[in-house]
Amino acid sequence: MVLDFFDKVGTGVLKGVDTTGDFAVLAGRTFVAIFARPFDGKNLLRQFQAVGVNSLPVVLLTSLAVSMVFAVQLAFGFKQFQAEGLASQVEGLAVMRELAPVITGLMLAGRVGSAMAAELGTMQVTEQIDALECLATDPIHYLFVPRLLASMLMVPLLTLISVYIGFWGGYLILVGVEGQSAVVFSSEFYKLLAFRDLRIALYKALVFGMIIALVGCWKGYRTQGGAEGVGNAPTSSVVTSSLWILVSDFFLTKLLLV
Amino acid sequence: MPVIDVVDLSKAFGTKVVLAKVNLQVEEGESLVVLGGSGSGKTVLLRTIMGLLTPDSGQVSIEGKIIAELNREELSNIRKSIGMCFQMAALFDSMTVFENVAFALRRHTKMTEAEVAARVDECLSMVGMKDTDKLKPAELSGGMKRRVGFARAIALKPKILLFDEPTTGLDPVMTDVIGRIILDLKQELGVTSITITHDLKSAFMIADRIALLFQGECLACETPEVFKVNPNPVIQQFLRGDAEGPFLQDPPAPKRKAKEASA
Repeated sequence: MVLDFFDKVGTGVLKGVDTTGDFAVLAGRTFVAIFARPFDGKNLLRQFQAVGVNSLPVVLLTSLAVSMVFAVQLAFGFKQFQAEGLASQVEGLAVMRELAPVITGLMLAGRVGSAMAAELGTMQVTEQIDALECLATDPIHYLFVPRLLASMLMVPLLTLISVYIGFWGGYLILVGVEGQSAVVFSSEFYKLLAFRDLRIALYKALVFGMIIALVGCWKGYRTQGGAEGVGNAPTSSVVTSSLWILVSDFFLTKLLLV
Repeated sequence: MPVIDVVDLSKAFGTKVVLAKVNLQVEEGESLVVLGGSGSGKTVLLRTIMGLLTPDSGQVSIEGKIIAELNREELSNIRKSIGMCFQMAALFDSMTVFENVAFALRRHTKMTEAEVAARVDECLSMVGMKDTDKLKPAELSGGMKRRVGFARAIALKPKILLFDEPTTGLDPVMTDVIGRIILDLKQELGVTSITITHDLKSAFMIADRIALLFQGECLACETPEVFKVNPNPVIQQFLRGDAEGPFLQDPPAPKRKAKEASA
């Protein structure tokens, strides 16, 4: 009974170490492979489109919705103690530091990370990744690197767009519905913000981009077991990368606000 | 020195031993056909030769270089001289036929696009797939996919070709077509090849030597004429295609005969 318990705990710990090590090795190989040749520009451009351009509508809509809801909550909250003027300042701070990078990260984990896991998973079970190896092509270099580079560039860019949309979300509610002055809102929105806040948002977006691409590619690359495995890979990728985005957001916030 | 030298190769997955001290040598320009039942380790043998799997013991050498001891760059260089044809073709489904065949040429040579196009056309012609370059793999039949897979494998003019069950699942006519293409490729390119197949007709058509894998071991490796008259009961049963015999350890009972006997 006791031995069984320790056996299960030991097996779990070994599996955890094995999985973490596997991810760390593949992530390390991906960063090293960034500098390998040949450089495939067309492949990279395709990924810029898949990760960035095609994600624009979903990022626009979610950023608008979240910033509007947040503005409604702020307007209601600050109205309780006659401090409605603070709503636009807090909205600006929240959108820049948290809402824009986290919402963009989570949406891309769902849209892009899952697609990467499904695509690479299908390639794995249909021997296309083995075919790449046999054609003297490192799958890490050919598949992981363009996706990682595209995510590292596009998630920060989309985060900037999300901040801009967040401004207009707040504007619609606080100016359009709550009747605040448009001029005051526009200046108050940026009042509490400093360059450091933009830097924090971009650092976070960069890390989230790495998480989305590396977890998506890793889950796809390690797919086993045919259709069932291909079905599980995107789900597992979305859950893992969303979790890591939220956990790393806490540590990044603590670290970057010091 | 053999071009492909498999020495005491063993590979197991968990407790299941797939290959047990297999020895095979393939000389330059020779065509070796490996026969064996399902799950006898034929594909594992090919994947180990390509360096996709690492042997538990023993070794595989290509032109004197031990595959398991090569670093990634050395392995990549060796792979440029080997063409691998997968059982289900493994074509890149996001690319057209042209892009599939041109893939290695664009990555590993300094050819201009016009030269790449000419080479792709040449390769597709050799396998009878000219004018299909704009199609996607999803638009091709099983036999067409295999042939495009062959064209992709020969694009870099490899010295060695490995065929993993190239005729499985195809109709008898297409099986014969594939057999002829393999024979043509062998004669036109003068490559060393290993073909894994269940199909005896194409095996005897293309083989210089035939090997049979049984329960992880290599039972024989000899010329087709000698192989045909090998007295080993496993080989004879395989050649006859009978259910009764030592090849299957627990063949299902012939229900119809049993019913007739009891009646």
